[in-house]
Amino acid sequence: MFGLAGPALFPAEALAHAADRGHVLLLPTGYYLLGGAAAVALTFLALAFMPPSLLEGLARVRLAIGSVPTRLRMVTSAATFLLLIGLVTAGILGSRDPLSNPLPLVFWTVFWIGLTLLQGVVGNLWWWINPLYAPWRALTGLTGHREGFVPMPDRLGYWPAVALFFGFAWFELVYLAPDDPARLATVVTIYFSANLVAALAFGYEEWTRRGECLSVFLGMIARLAIVEGSKVESGRRRIALCLPGAKLVSAEPLPPSGTLFLLLALSTVSFDGLMRTFLWLGLFGVNPLEFPGRSAVTGISSFGLLATFVVLGAAFHAAVALGERLAGASESISSAAGALVWSIIPISMAYHFSHYLTSFVINGQYALAALSDPLMSGADLFGTAGMHVQAGMLMGAERAWLVWNLQAAAIVGGHLLAVLVAHAVAFRLYGSADAATRSQVPLAVLMVLYTVFGLWLLSSPTAA
Amino acid sequence: MTDIRKPSSLLTSTISRRNALKGLGAAAAIGTAPGFVRYAQAQSSAPIKIGFQAHRTGIGAAYGRWYERTTAAAVKAINDAGGINGRPVEIITEDDGTDAARGAEVVEKFANQHRTDIVYGTLFSHVVVGSAPAAGELKIPYYVVSEGYHVASGKMNRYVLQPGITDVRAQCRSVAPWITSNVGKKITMIYPDYAFGHDHRDFFGPAAAEQGGEVVAQIPIPPTESSFTRYFPQIPADTDVIYHVMVGPAVLTFVKELGEFYGGSGPKLFGFIDSLEAVNINSPGLEFLEGSHFWEGMPRYLQEDATDAEKAYREAVGLDETGASVNDANDVSTAAHMFGCWETLHIIKDAMEAADYRGPEDRAKLIEATEAMTEFPEGPAHPQGAKVFNGKIHQVFGSQSISVVENGRLNVVHRTSIEDGMYEPEADYTTQPL
Repeated sequence: MFGLAGPALFPAEALAHAADRGHVLLLPTGYYLLGGAAAVALTFLALAFMPPSLLEGLARVRLAIGSVPTRLRMVTSAATFLLLIGLVTAGILGSRDPLSNPLPLVFWTVFWIGLTLLQGVVGNLWWWINPLYAPWRALTGLTGHREGFVPMPDRLGYWPAVALFFGFAWFELVYLAPDDPARLATVVTIYFSANLVAALAFGYEEWTRRGECLSVFLGMIARLAIVEGSKVESGRRRIALCLPGAKLVSAEPLPPSGTLFLLLALSTVSFDGLMRTFLWLGLFGVNPLEFPGRSAVTGISSFGLLATFVVLGAAFHAAVALGERLAGASESISSAAGALVWSIIPISMAYHFSHYLTSFVINGQYALAALSDPLMSGADLFGTAGMHVQAGMLMGAERAWLVWNLQAAAIVGGHLLAVLVAHAVAFRLYGSADAATRSQVPLAVLMVLYTVFGLWLLSSPTAA
Repeated sequence: MTDIRKPSSLLTSTISRRNALKGLGAAAAIGTAPGFVRYAQAQSSAPIKIGFQAHRTGIGAAYGRWYERTTAAAVKAINDAGGINGRPVEIITEDDGTDAARGAEVVEKFANQHRTDIVYGTLFSHVVVGSAPAAGELKIPYYVVSEGYHVASGKMNRYVLQPGITDVRAQCRSVAPWITSNVGKKITMIYPDYAFGHDHRDFFGPAAAEQGGEVVAQIPIPPTESSFTRYFPQIPADTDVIYHVMVGPAVLTFVKELGEFYGGSGPKLFGFIDSLEAVNINSPGLEFLEGSHFWEGMPRYLQEDATDAEKAYREAVGLDETGASVNDANDVSTAAHMFGCWETLHIIKDAMEAADYRGPEDRAKLIEATEAMTEFPEGPAHPQGAKVFNGKIHQVFGSQSISVVENGRLNVVHRTSIEDGMYEPEADYTTQPL
């Protein structure tokens, strides 16, 4: 309430920061938008003249590099579980400063930003280190119900994951203090316990595949990676290398709720960018130069989070439906969408990288310091407690140029890969190169638009 | 306390924030430090707990980082010199998310949960305004470092004080005499069209008129604007000086477009460094600023005539000659504002010692002791310069620097007098009950 009344009643100094985005505003970002759009459009056109078997062949390339015993999983998971207990303890007992307490730094920076990016490159590490696994194994050792007490109903689909992920994104982007160590400790504890109970009830593999949203998301993102792990066979998983995105082409089509889950994931990170722009704040009469803080925009942001999801979901399904018509196919829209939606994974990764790059570089340093002295007791476990955080690493015109180019390359690269994947999936769906190309025209248009939108988000003036 | 100085190393720092701010650990470590004898003589060696309401996340985070760094340096200096009343100072940091509602919550946490002696350190006005009622209700002294006029206006309450940094009204007033007699009398003001810009419009205009100047045009710019060329034709041709206070990410664009509009000639420029706080003055796009003048709360670049106290302060905080971090040349400080943290903490120390402050039961005495203060002499506790405190409006007055951009440096050309910024007080907090 004060946040709304304050600026109107009282004189205010304005210290909206001029740096970083200010340097980007001086760059010829308009050309990048045009260039990015052209690159994605031309790639799509080039595909029309390329034999689809080529893409298919590329997607099948594998290079075996060995196998790993899966019994290690219990050890790696137990280690992460203990780390989690340590972090939650630090969240309760350690510093109140979110940049000195290891819990918010490890959760939001190392895990949510860092591990997601790592999954996208090296594959499903989360399968090994999920802290839910070890306690679940230990408890099922007692109950004997390895498959759970009841089968997870098929009609639940991915809906539990959709609901949980919406809650997660809301907590991250809208909630007043997601970084507050004590509150985060509470939320993490409740989330973990509830999911452990659900895993015990429905079985671990099934619940982490369709229910627990972070495992669902990380598992899907891992399909972009260049490392593929086989199914468990006699206590080992074989590991092979593949091309980026190759695993997406052969992925099982998702049910409608799974499709929506992936669209939700992309829409939330898109909204993370959108909600800071002058354009968005201006729409709701919020002065971006004296941004009043999250408490004043809770309703607006909640609406925006949902609206971005609805708009993206509708646009994607409309593009798929139109494509079906152009290809003259008889496939149902939802099954085509469930196959084609895998193509947005590279875009999700690109957004994740470009939106969180700066935060990862700076807060990652704070995390190193905090982990070395988790309770602010003067400890120095790894010799990094006293390290100076180099915030200047990303400051100034030169660094802004570098960051912008990395971001732009990721956005354009992500969309290019998305077009390739979508094309290969479409060929599988529709059987002929001609039908695949025709079916993909609307989706390609959407991807060109999303490229421009992504670059615009990163180059327009923002409030924070 | 590890105090290794190897600027090139990632793992060292002039002052280690975690050591200076680690709280109880720091207090415990102090037991073995040379100052221990002095603590031991004090009746109680329990730490003085200061709740630092910090902008760690949200729109103020970039400023929060330097406020934290200055706070750590000041606490280290105070503790090294024997603490407050012989008791070590412990800082408890809570993030307010640069949010007004969260700010009020944090004040409540400090008072009821952490049981800090006072709350300190807020920069952004809306957080001050949002938190002040909580501080008043809980009767916990709330020392802000925000430069807003809200404290002096009388709209806060008896528990809110701003003794370490001047307010925007005084800043605008104090530069008016110098501008009208040295730069020009016909002034066009360009400012963002909301409270901050309106403060400048309302406070500078009359002050300039008193000095024989004339504001020939006022050009408010909508806050969401990111291109400015279409506003420049509104600048009257007979303008001597453009007074600009644009802020936000589009500032660089503003300067660049202004330069392109005038093509190297045109009126002189006078700006407030708020526009470019923490931004390298040599950034591409800012070339047009060469030769223009800026208000600075405290000089960013080390001046030839810098006092010993100023040099010691810069060294303690870890500033190089250009006002960037000694550990990180790209990390330009918020030099024009953050000295307020250093000075406020030293005033808290003096006021607590004057009040013989023992604990939360003495909070009212602490307010009265602060209100009774009148003058702060230039020196290690006040490296920015001497100041005069008005206990009735809880606001400090001091001198300001006017600097010119020369060869990519900000060089101070004038120091205003304390009187230049004085105005008729509009309130008296001392009549409110404690």
